[in-house]
Amino acid sequence: MSRILAIDTSTSRSCVAIIEGDKVLYSGFRDGATAHGPSLPALVQEALAVNDVDEVVVGMGPGPFTGLRVGIAFAQSFALARQIPVRGVCSLDAIAAQVHESDFIITVDARRKEVYWARYTDGTRVGEAAVNFPADVFGTTIHADLFPDMVALANLPGNITEPIYLRRPDAVATADRP
Amino acid sequence: MSEPIVLGIETSCDETAVGVVRGRTLLANVIASSVEEHARFGGVVPEIASRAHLEAMIPTLHQALKDSKISLKDIDAVAVTGGPGLVGALLVGVGSAAGLALGLNKPIYAVNHLAAHVSVDYLTHDNPLDPTIALLVSGGHSSLLQVDDITGSITKLGQTMDDAAGEAFDKIARVMKLGFPGGPAIDKLAKAGGASAINFPRGLTTSNDWQTRPFDFSFSGLKTAVARYLEATPNYARADVAASFQEAIVDVLLLKALAACKQTGIDSLVIAGGVAANSRLRAVAQERCDKAGVALRVPSPGLCTDNGAMVAALGSLMVSAGRAPSPVAFDADSSLPVTTVSI
Repeated sequence: MSRILAIDTSTSRSCVAIIEGDKVLYSGFRDGATAHGPSLPALVQEALAVNDVDEVVVGMGPGPFTGLRVGIAFAQSFALARQIPVRGVCSLDAIAAQVHESDFIITVDARRKEVYWARYTDGTRVGEAAVNFPADVFGTTIHADLFPDMVALANLPGNITEPIYLRRPDAVATADRP
Repeated sequence: MSEPIVLGIETSCDETAVGVVRGRTLLANVIASSVEEHARFGGVVPEIASRAHLEAMIPTLHQALKDSKISLKDIDAVAVTGGPGLVGALLVGVGSAAGLALGLNKPIYAVNHLAAHVSVDYLTHDNPLDPTIALLVSGGHSSLLQVDDITGSITKLGQTMDDAAGEAFDKIARVMKLGFPGGPAIDKLAKAGGASAINFPRGLTTSNDWQTRPFDFSFSGLKTAVARYLEATPNYARADVAASFQEAIVDVLLLKALAACKQTGIDSLVIAGGVAANSRLRAVAQERCDKAGVALRVPSPGLCTDNGAMVAALGSLMVSAGRAPSPVAFDADSSLPVTTVSI
């Protein structure tokens, strides 16, 4: 069974774990919405002192862009250096895995007074994740401010290859300026 | 380790760049630029640049490894631009470099982008780099530096008080509808014009300025002067404006750079940064340095603009000098001062 280096930087918490099946060989986190740059390598160094790994799984968001990209860039380059596979998964799905209810919504901070969110019924995501004002997200129980379950993250199926941004870059072409 | 193999990553602005050096030998220099994505915005959009970096990073690394004909396990150290630059852009390179370094179990050197620009000369010239005066001119920076030791001792003699030289090129190019980036377009247009056709002002060159801030620059007055000239002269000669504007910048940069050589008694000048690719600056610099008995060193145009080879070159110099690598938990610094060579 492969030992997975699980990484998520989609929230204000940098999360790192080494997971083998449902066993946690290492788990660590550091809080700080703008500290993913220094936090992630420190956590991975700590993890590698405990165990070696042969696969990488990384949360592809949605989440604030700058921190999110640190995790993805790190995961992809680490996998390249080790010549091991890397897979991307939806971070919201890893957060949802710890909630055992039949119908709920997961939200995480998206800055600018908005939230990234997705609805889950019977353990499955309903449609795609979205970004909205909190007032526009309703209909069932809302779980905010949870962090990814790293065992779940490591075991999520599929492979998302692009970051889940959900927003376009803010910029107005010179030709469209007033 | 006399000839360390160092891989360098640069993502401080809009180029995703990876270079590989062995000692002072350039093995690979791969650049993926997102400049075309920024052109319609008239300047670099940070979020667009950051997204492009992440997309280009792995393909650029693969290409650099292929070009350099080395395998991953040959790499002795990883170097990365730790600052200054756009923070979101820097962090893509920093994340990637940290992943590589931990994956390979090799040290990481987070180096200063500006010092790296100067250090790239080490790949092309035989004589030692320090001490030297360095004129660093790009879209984001215009400084005069005294380099006593490129791996640890750089003193700032002066800098621009307003726009960077490259920024002035971009702004004038925008007013003249020459597109972005403005440097290459003005350089090309200027070849058909008269450098002394219009007498544009040279900033901070009054006798009082020479006494109080001899090595500082100012380009905003020049920018305003050109804009006023264009408004007041409906049928202006485009090539003459380009040539005379360019001459004003070149003249003042070299006046101050050579004054710095004279004052410090250092008879070596390195011109680095994107504006160092300007053909007029290179030609006039050669002329004036020859006359002053100053040894001029300008990297080849391809190594003047942002690239990964310069980061690898500085990393290689750090390794050879026995400098300590960066801590594993270092942070990118968007306003890293030029006097801090590594984080």
